[in-house]
Amino acid sequence: MLLQLNNIFKWVNSGGQRIFLLKDISLTVEEGEFISVMGPSGSGKSTLLNVIGMLDGFDEGEYHFLDESVHSIKEKHRANLYKEYIGFVFQSYHLLDELTVKENLEMPLLYKKFKGSERKAMVADMLDRFNIVGKKDLFPAQLSGGQQQLVGIARALISNPKLILADEPTGNLNSAQGEEIMGLFKQLNDEGVTIIQVTHSEKNASHGSRIINLLDGRMI
Amino acid sequence: MLKHNIKLFFRSIKRNVSSFLINIIGLSTGLACAMFIALWVSDELGVDKFHENHDRIYQVAENVEFSDGIQTMVESSAPMAEFLVAQMPEVEYASAVILPGWFGKHTLSVGDNTLKAQGQLVSKDYFNIFSYELIQGDKNKIIADPNAIVISKDLAIKLFGTTNNVVGKSIQYEKDRQFQVSGIFKGAPSNSTVQFDFALSDKAYTDEAPWNSINTDTWNSTGPQVYVLLKEGADIEALNSKVAKIRKERNENDLRTSVLIPFSEHYLHGTYKNGKQVGGRIEYVELFSMIAILILIIACINFMNLSTARASKRLKEIGVKKAVGAKRKTFLFQFLGESVLMSIMSLFVALFMVALLLPRFNTIVGKQLALSFDFNLVVLTLGITIVTGLLAGSYPAIYLSGFNAVAVLKGKLNRSVGELWTRKGLVVVQFALSIILIVSVIVVYNQIQFAQNQNLGYSKDNIVYFKAEGKIKEQLPTFLAELKKLPGIKNASGTTHSMIGHNWSTSLEWEGMDPENEIGFQIVGVDYDFIETMDMQIVAGRGFNRAYGDSVGVIFNETAIKAMGLEDPIGKIVEQRIEIVGVVKDFHFKSLHDKVEPLFMAIMPQINKVMVRIEAGKERDAIEEINGLYQAFNPGFQFEYEFLDDNYKALYASEQRVATLSKYFAGMAILISCLGLFGLAMFTAERRKKEISVRKVLGQTVAEVTVMLSSDFAKLVLVAILIALPIAYLVANNWLSGFAYHIPLKVWYFLAAGATALLVAMLTVGSQAIQAANRNPVDGLREE
Repeated sequence: MLLQLNNIFKWVNSGGQRIFLLKDISLTVEEGEFISVMGPSGSGKSTLLNVIGMLDGFDEGEYHFLDESVHSIKEKHRANLYKEYIGFVFQSYHLLDELTVKENLEMPLLYKKFKGSERKAMVADMLDRFNIVGKKDLFPAQLSGGQQQLVGIARALISNPKLILADEPTGNLNSAQGEEIMGLFKQLNDEGVTIIQVTHSEKNASHGSRIINLLDGRMI
Repeated sequence: MLKHNIKLFFRSIKRNVSSFLINIIGLSTGLACAMFIALWVSDELGVDKFHENHDRIYQVAENVEFSDGIQTMVESSAPMAEFLVAQMPEVEYASAVILPGWFGKHTLSVGDNTLKAQGQLVSKDYFNIFSYELIQGDKNKIIADPNAIVISKDLAIKLFGTTNNVVGKSIQYEKDRQFQVSGIFKGAPSNSTVQFDFALSDKAYTDEAPWNSINTDTWNSTGPQVYVLLKEGADIEALNSKVAKIRKERNENDLRTSVLIPFSEHYLHGTYKNGKQVGGRIEYVELFSMIAILILIIACINFMNLSTARASKRLKEIGVKKAVGAKRKTFLFQFLGESVLMSIMSLFVALFMVALLLPRFNTIVGKQLALSFDFNLVVLTLGITIVTGLLAGSYPAIYLSGFNAVAVLKGKLNRSVGELWTRKGLVVVQFALSIILIVSVIVVYNQIQFAQNQNLGYSKDNIVYFKAEGKIKEQLPTFLAELKKLPGIKNASGTTHSMIGHNWSTSLEWEGMDPENEIGFQIVGVDYDFIETMDMQIVAGRGFNRAYGDSVGVIFNETAIKAMGLEDPIGKIVEQRIEIVGVVKDFHFKSLHDKVEPLFMAIMPQINKVMVRIEAGKERDAIEEINGLYQAFNPGFQFEYEFLDDNYKALYASEQRVATLSKYFAGMAILISCLGLFGLAMFTAERRKKEISVRKVLGQTVAEVTVMLSSDFAKLVLVAILIALPIAYLVANNWLSGFAYHIPLKVWYFLAAGATALLVAMLTVGSQAIQAANRNPVDGLREE
């Protein structure tokens, strides 16, 4: 078991009313799974992903990640946990405009204790693996959307996470580019990386091993 | 990581050139102002402190009780010096001095080599008290002989071409006396208040007033300055009360008390009220230090406002970094590091500006400041820079690093009301400070105009004066008679006082005098036609007239008559034999800081200045003519003349300098504030792009949109005006109260300052607003 959510609730209070973003979510994810989260806009897909990624908190319930109880550990410990095991892929890539491809890849490593030479080797490895060695000195604005997302995924993978969380990774791409990214995810999954993605597309979801449907914060 | 951050920093500069320029111009201008002020302040604080024992050098001042309070004069009476050395064990040395400013320039010659040099009269232990380094001569002996002259190194080189074997040689003085060089000193450094080329013994003049005032044995007259060097560990309080007591014992009715004041403090703390030090130039030092800090704050505010306003541009960076595990601390370091780096870059620009503008600054402040790598100055500059960087970066660092990663990445960040208020508050502070500076400039400028155009009781324009020396002094009546015949000359006379500044005083007895009512009278020795030449007004009696043989007549000013309590002064007898022949309308003979003091004029033989009124517009020809006559009387002398109104202006030199400086600094402050506002307006227009587009699509005109965008800023400036004006009023009032005669504070000063700030702000914002309002609304909507 990689992670387990037990009866997770998350809400906001608005105008004296309690609005539930997540309602009684229970979910177990095993290592090596490729899960697609689906549902209409506002159903809580991204919120669920952020809770799993520990970027966002929740109000009730338990969350176990590996052997840790996320709901009871301190902020600092939690940051270490996701830093170590989780990689994020965003719909709008979120590459830093002022950094080159190479530097963008190196960035996550700066917050871990790697030596300069180790970092270099890891970046070179990643460039190689994604076939973007020729683009290493370009800035994000000089790349196509698909290429940018490729870099985004490479950046998420560089510190060898157990879990990749992808929030509509193909949302900004055309179908050919999207297909390419999905192929890549499949390949990564085959290599043993656990992936949870949020998607609107049935076709994308079909690449996964399991589909979770959300509606108004509930699993259906 | 550092390398990464530095790269990010420089690349983001490239992307945001305009805000980078605004920041760097603002910060570097602020730093340059601060550096100028630091240079000036450190020079001011060092004045007269170069004397080795400056903390033990004291000056004898006299507190004189007038009916309206105590006046403090830094002059004392000559016998005080010997008395203090003889009677007070705490006093090591004392010296009576007639300062260069009063003693003036004198003609020296060696062979055919004739020049004029600034001298002073000093009594024997002068060089034991003050550390003017002697190159040759023994400081205990050099002024023992009445015919001894101590000259500066520069003067020695000018006269003899060398400093070798000069001691013992003769210098002809005023063409009629010989002085022997007894020593050579290195010359006074520029941070000395006393600047002189030579010094003579106090015994050099024993018969000629006013210089003989350094030799009299009466305690009642004043003139010379008396300086003492105290022994180490002397108790100044105890000494002062001892001196006061002894004075009282000598004369029960003496209205003067002597008090020893620290010499090197006098320069900065030279204003006295009721016998207490109440300020002086130190106020300017404090004022400018304050201005430096304010300008830096204004510059820092720009930085803060622009960085927080542009935060949206950095949100992604913060979000992504947080998502990969960066902690808040790393952002704090990153942002503070960036702002410190920014201020260090500004420092280099500022250094460049300072180097470029230093000559101009020196002319304004009348100093010879230089950019030196003096340890203290370097530490101070670096300190200011780093503190500025940290201050400027503190708010953005704390603010930006606190963002929530998810919110940031999803663009869900709600701009908090607090943030908006902080930014608005900072703009208000900036403008309030600028407005206070503008009001100050207007007030200082008007007060100086007032002083310069004040009815002084005489007419200072078109008056040329020069020294009565050599044959001119011996044959003054003939010279004056010849002078009056020259074309372009309206009138001429002689006097002992140049109408400006330092004078000597004495007490008098008069008919019906209340023995309690002792008054210090300023003495102005004059020749016939003086009152007419100066265009003074006689309010009772008559002026001096040869026909009456007025050599034993005296004329008082109105203040004197009032102080003496005389109802019908004309014909009354003074000092048993001198008749009061007239009363002259009060005229100002010191700066307007001081009240008009009791004064009398009498015909005196010791005239040392010739005053000439020339016809307006004929200055050049008239001076040519005077020079011809002068040379005929004094062949070989240098003719040096001065215009009275120039010297009158010099009375207000420090105010003039403050006015000019504050003008520049106020300009800088408003410039930096506007830079910030410009950046903010640019940013606001950008942020409200969608709103503007929607408004235009719904039918608002360009003008309406412009007004809407501008009015937000106008409101801020209005609030700043409301806050600033009362403060400015207090500040201005306080400054003006230092003048005995000053302008009233007029409403328009404040209105003008407010209007200026508002206008400049509106011009700044308006340009941006118009640009934003004119954009095609489709662009704004499409990008969303």
